[in-house]
Amino acid sequence: MGFAQSGDFGGVSGPGVLFYFDLPIVGRINITESVVIGFVLVVAISIFVIWLTHGMKKIPTKRQIVAEWIVETVNKLVKDNMGPSHLVYAPYIATIFVFSITGSLVSLLGLRSVTADASVTIAWALICLVMITYTKLKYSGFGGYLKSFTEPIFVMTPMNIFSEIMTPISMGLRHFGNVAGGMVITALIYWALANLSAKLHLYFSMGEIRIGVLQIGIPAVLSVYFDLFSGFMQAFIFIMLTMANVGNCIPDDKK
Amino acid sequence: MSVEMIIPCIASAGTGLNLEFLSIDLGTIIGTLLNTLILFLVIKHFLFGKVNQILDDRKKYVEDTYSEADKAKENAKALEAEYDEKLRAAKEESADIIRNATVKAQQRSDEIVFAAKNEAAGIISRANEDIEREKKRAVNQIKDEISDIAIAVAEKVVEKEITSKDNDRLIEEFIENVGEL
Repeated sequence: MGFAQSGDFGGVSGPGVLFYFDLPIVGRINITESVVIGFVLVVAISIFVIWLTHGMKKIPTKRQIVAEWIVETVNKLVKDNMGPSHLVYAPYIATIFVFSITGSLVSLLGLRSVTADASVTIAWALICLVMITYTKLKYSGFGGYLKSFTEPIFVMTPMNIFSEIMTPISMGLRHFGNVAGGMVITALIYWALANLSAKLHLYFSMGEIRIGVLQIGIPAVLSVYFDLFSGFMQAFIFIMLTMANVGNCIPDDKK
Repeated sequence: MSVEMIIPCIASAGTGLNLEFLSIDLGTIIGTLLNTLILFLVIKHFLFGKVNQILDDRKKYVEDTYSEADKAKENAKALEAEYDEKLRAAKEESADIIRNATVKAQQRSDEIVFAAKNEAAGIISRANEDIEREKKRAVNQIKDEISDIAIAVAEKVVEKEITSKDNDRLIEEFIENVGEL
């Protein structure tokens, strides 16, 4: 994002491409900001998790209590939404939740939100689609899975296939849309405040960068909503939708 | 602030290109899937694996402790029942002993009282017999003495002429003699 300069609103750019490979057949593979920042987050979260759970004992330390609380909370969430026999999904739910939250909150460090990249959220939604399909195949077999598309009547088949594909796509896009929308609004406000400061001659310069006085403080209030609250809410909604969509494919007696 | 300010090493590798704001990029999808897979494996193994293990261990430990406590409780109950039984038996036995002793004592006292009554009756009857005998003896003695006196009186009557005065005197004498008895 960066501090918007006064003048015409330049718009909000997509994720930057840090480097790329040109491969045969598949074409260009971009390594974008989202992937690299995501990888840094993965490393940071991994270090935190390993620190959190090293040297666990029967009588827990404070550190261990935190780890146990996280695991038990996620386990309970999965148990409530997908049934007690599907706790195997809990680590994945926790992964998406923590990745999504931290991915949104990196904007507080001035980085581009990982979740403000549609490719990232759609990648997670694709995992959800795979899980939905796997669950359906597991519980109704290949024939039953194909047959479920022709219900309630055969004419509905294209609609059902469309709906099946759109479920995860909509999940991915709504997450992207919320975070990216917040990013656009924040950028617009920065730009507006920069212009207002310039008109009122309330600015000071730090080398090349000109910072408007109104740009200090006011955006922080908006950041509480768009970064903290929205980041948390979207992560929570995303995992709830994942659990609900996969859970819906599990017959009630198998939960 | 921008990426370049936070992670300069990445910035140096930057191409200066940006993707479209809304773009679906294969490289990003693959990269994100790999990132997610790595994070998933770490969280699964280091967070859930370890914590679930410790929770299971603790659950097992608690269950073991509880089952041991239950066992100890059952043992205690069995012992309590055993002691109760023993105590009850001992109480019964002591009650028996007391009852038997009471019965024996009653019998013995009855016997003693009976014997005493018998003895007393014997003594009384013997005493009565003695009294009777003494009485008879006394009566006989009196009879003898009366007859002796009568004979003496008769002798005196025979020896002397009896006047009316004499008669009176004799009678008085007799009575006096009788009085001396």
